[in-house]
Amino acid sequence: MFGCNHAREQCPVQLIFAGNNTGISFRFLLAADIPAGNFAQMQIDWVVIRWARLSLIAVVGIISAASGADPARLPADQLAKAIKSDSISIPTPGELFAALEKPGKINWSGQYRAPMPMTYRNRAQIALNLGGLIADGFIAVEAKDSQQVKNIGSDIIKLAKALGVSEHVLGRSNSINEFAEQNEWDTLQEELEATQNEVKSSMQSHSDQDLIILVSLGGWIRGTQVVSGAILENYDQGSAKVLRQPALVGFMQSKINEISPELRDEPLVKGVSEQLAGIQKLVSFPAGKAPTVDDVRKVNDAVGKVMEEIESKTIAK
Amino acid sequence: MNRWLTFLCIIFLAGTGTCAYSDTNSEVEARKSALDLAGAFSNDGFKIRDGHWCGTVQPHVHYLVAVNLYAGNQYWFSVGATEPAKKVAVSVYDETGNHVSTESYDSGDRAAAGFAPANSGQYFVSVDLLDGQQGSFCLVYSYK
Repeated sequence: MFGCNHAREQCPVQLIFAGNNTGISFRFLLAADIPAGNFAQMQIDWVVIRWARLSLIAVVGIISAASGADPARLPADQLAKAIKSDSISIPTPGELFAALEKPGKINWSGQYRAPMPMTYRNRAQIALNLGGLIADGFIAVEAKDSQQVKNIGSDIIKLAKALGVSEHVLGRSNSINEFAEQNEWDTLQEELEATQNEVKSSMQSHSDQDLIILVSLGGWIRGTQVVSGAILENYDQGSAKVLRQPALVGFMQSKINEISPELRDEPLVKGVSEQLAGIQKLVSFPAGKAPTVDDVRKVNDAVGKVMEEIESKTIAK
Repeated sequence: MNRWLTFLCIIFLAGTGTCAYSDTNSEVEARKSALDLAGAFSNDGFKIRDGHWCGTVQPHVHYLVAVNLYAGNQYWFSVGATEPAKKVAVSVYDETGNHVSTESYDSGDRAAAGFAPANSGQYFVSVDLLDGQQGSFCLVYSYK
């Protein structure tokens, strides 16, 4: 129980509207304008995620507590109205891999996959594969494999170029190579995160907002494939708990439902979206209960199947 | 008439631009403050997530953002605010809305909450203004 002097216990029920009409505004930001390789001197680059949609989200995201409400427990209707955004509500592959690393040594280089083709023509497929490739970059960093980091960094830039991202992003390639040469693994991880965010920021400014969620989704699918595969190789309950993410999958599914009907109806996007519903059930373990080996295998099979479709040259329109 | 309309439009647009610019500066300052605080946790091996949530915090209003966390990691959620906001608080709730016990850091216009989730899944981070008037805030988080 919080102290009675807590401000939110005293306020009446109210919903504060956000947007220009009230002078209250929210912005979701990506630190996409970080000078390459210099995290400490980062500058803010505003990424205003579709103002119309943002205003709506912000309206419902600003919540005041009911008078006398118990701050030790928030009611479900308040939780449902919480802000959710790509930039803070979707964890990076690095976060997932960090959690997995705790219980024991992982054979990260054993999780590499064969180089993917760089000749995709379908933009949704490129975005999904770009997300997966960024996850591969995190794997190479975990493996402390500088050559693999450089190879993947180069591929990331090739795919990003295919999507027409800004020249600014392309400058990341040099810094990735530089940090890989110097074995600066923590900085490389920051660089990969910044690259991913900068790609998304560039998509935003090129009116390719619908592709942003596909990059995040591709990264999550590839990350989950790797993590579930690593857990199967050396099962322990503590590690297996990282696979529980029903709300995250639900959020990504809801974002896909918001993209343009044309993109949503593309065979690849449609197929991935349909399979997400099944994957959400597979990662909805009860809180506190670790998934069994069989549960983990089912997750691995399901995300592996989606990953195959994402990589396939034939399924996309 | 048309000249007057044009003049009024210019005044309006100039005013809007100024407001937007000052908001931006204030949020940049809040973010810098949050990053300074998060930087202290970096000394303990925490990595700062490249993404953040900024806005305007008001008295008696409760701000919530959803995050998805992994069991096995430790997290710190750091908030910086700008004048005239004087004292902010950060709290964490689990997916069912139950308050989660956290370690806390509180230094007036900066605050942080740290914990290690027992379960992977969705959590909610709340930011509250406990003292002062409406000001900008920014939330960042770190993990290890």
